[in-house]
Amino acid sequence: MPIDDTSSAALSDGAPAAGPGQPAFLDIDGAVFAYPGRAPVVEGVRWRVGAGEVHCLVGRSGCGKTTLLQLAAGLLRPQSGSVRMQGREVRAPGPQLGFMFQAPTLLDWQRVIDNVLLPVSLQRRPTAADHERAQALLAQLGLADHGQRHPRQLSGGQQSRVALARALILEPALLLLDEPFAALDAITRAELQDDLLRTCRQRRATVLFVTHDITEAVYLGDRIAVMAAGRVTGDIAVDLPTPRTQSMRHEPPFNRLCAHVQASMLGASPAPA
Amino acid sequence: MSGEPRPRTTAASAWPARALAAALGLALLAAWEALARQSGLSALVLPAPSAVVASLWAGLRSGYFTPHVAATLSALGLGLAGGGAAGLLMGALLAESPWAERVLRPYVVLSQVTPKLALAPLFVLWLGFGIAPTALITGLICFFPLMENTLTGLQQTDPQRLRLFRMLGATRWQTLLRLKLPMALPTVLAGLRMAVVLALVGAVVGEFIGASRGLGAVIIAAQGSMDTALLFAALVLIAVIGLLLYQATLLAERRLLRPYADPS
Repeated sequence: MPIDDTSSAALSDGAPAAGPGQPAFLDIDGAVFAYPGRAPVVEGVRWRVGAGEVHCLVGRSGCGKTTLLQLAAGLLRPQSGSVRMQGREVRAPGPQLGFMFQAPTLLDWQRVIDNVLLPVSLQRRPTAADHERAQALLAQLGLADHGQRHPRQLSGGQQSRVALARALILEPALLLLDEPFAALDAITRAELQDDLLRTCRQRRATVLFVTHDITEAVYLGDRIAVMAAGRVTGDIAVDLPTPRTQSMRHEPPFNRLCAHVQASMLGASPAPA
Repeated sequence: MSGEPRPRTTAASAWPARALAAALGLALLAAWEALARQSGLSALVLPAPSAVVASLWAGLRSGYFTPHVAATLSALGLGLAGGGAAGLLMGALLAESPWAERVLRPYVVLSQVTPKLALAPLFVLWLGFGIAPTALITGLICFFPLMENTLTGLQQTDPQRLRLFRMLGATRWQTLLRLKLPMALPTVLAGLRMAVVLALVGAVVGEFIGASRGLGAVIIAAQGSMDTALLFAALVLIAVIGLLLYQATLLAERRLLRPYADPS
């Protein structure tokens, strides 16, 4: 689809992450979305995520990052432009996607294991293999003994881990996360970030992670999109070594990147580094 | 487990209060007994508690109360089950379909502001003397709290969880059964607790008018034969049934809602 002139700035600034030759895993091309009777929330965003990459969307509240995530999920459809996953238009959410929201949104009346299996049990009766997979995920996240408990018996960090296991149970190729760790304390959040990176790398999942925490974006992301007023105003590649370790947080390259992201968020237009 | 310490401390602190409540009850009974014996009031007006207990015991032992208790309980059970189920379904319908709510709401409210007990003579006319009119009144009385609470509970579903179900591709039916109803369960059960108490009132008063059997009918008969001790005995039975039902509902509620509560 043709991209209108409002998006051309974002086009040149938000350089495609994947090389021009290979098609991106997730390709958001000139997406525009407005709720009826209001100014557009997302105004011509172009962004590409390569397979297996972790991209973070940062921006102030109300900049349109959650709406962009919902466009990527197929929960909203763009009024113009397109959202493609592996070359195909995203029309509706499906098993190819995993989600995590700001709150763990577990079902309090079901056991932890049944919460993890929810995406399966809404489609079909879970098999023994499904149970094994759920149990393995829980074990990997340090919750092996908690499968028969109810969510309210777990701590906030444990509940977030259950939500992560639930997001991963169908082995989705794309994981969409909307500030999932915002309510956790710093230490628990750091543990969950490591858990997330580890489990996603193992499954080669592609991740789009919305956050307003700059250090979180730098720690998790291979690439960071800075959003303001419905547009991508900054595109920052994170060149820290993988796998990340917590000690990196205190080293100069990490802090330099944080400062860079912050400067990009503060400036209306991206300042050249 | 983690939930254990709290009940123990509340139980411990509740002890003196409970003992005091029991002592108060005994003192009131003793005062009543003394008043009935000393004042020379006729047993027609105020029988002594000992006379009430004697009448109660005699009635229970001879089996006089058995069919009446059974009649009241079955009217109550039928009404509670029928009215409760209808209230639940209607509440779900109104919550799921805004269109149905707009169309039906005025009539539902109208039917509720009409005093059901005033309809009892009409029901007797239509359905005859016996358990049917009583059960119908009880059902009508139970309908409203369950409908109202189901509607409220279903409308309060957390939007984030609704979005989760949408994203997971859940059907409307799955969303209702697996998300909305379980989330509404605490509110629905609160409505049930209210309905149980109201149901007993409905059953007894219904029997005043439309039944020859049941504790309500016993009260009317005792009044007619000026057996005030028997009247009080029937009252005691009604109170005991009410207490047991209420406690049973509370117990069921606590069991069902255990996963919903934060352990502390």
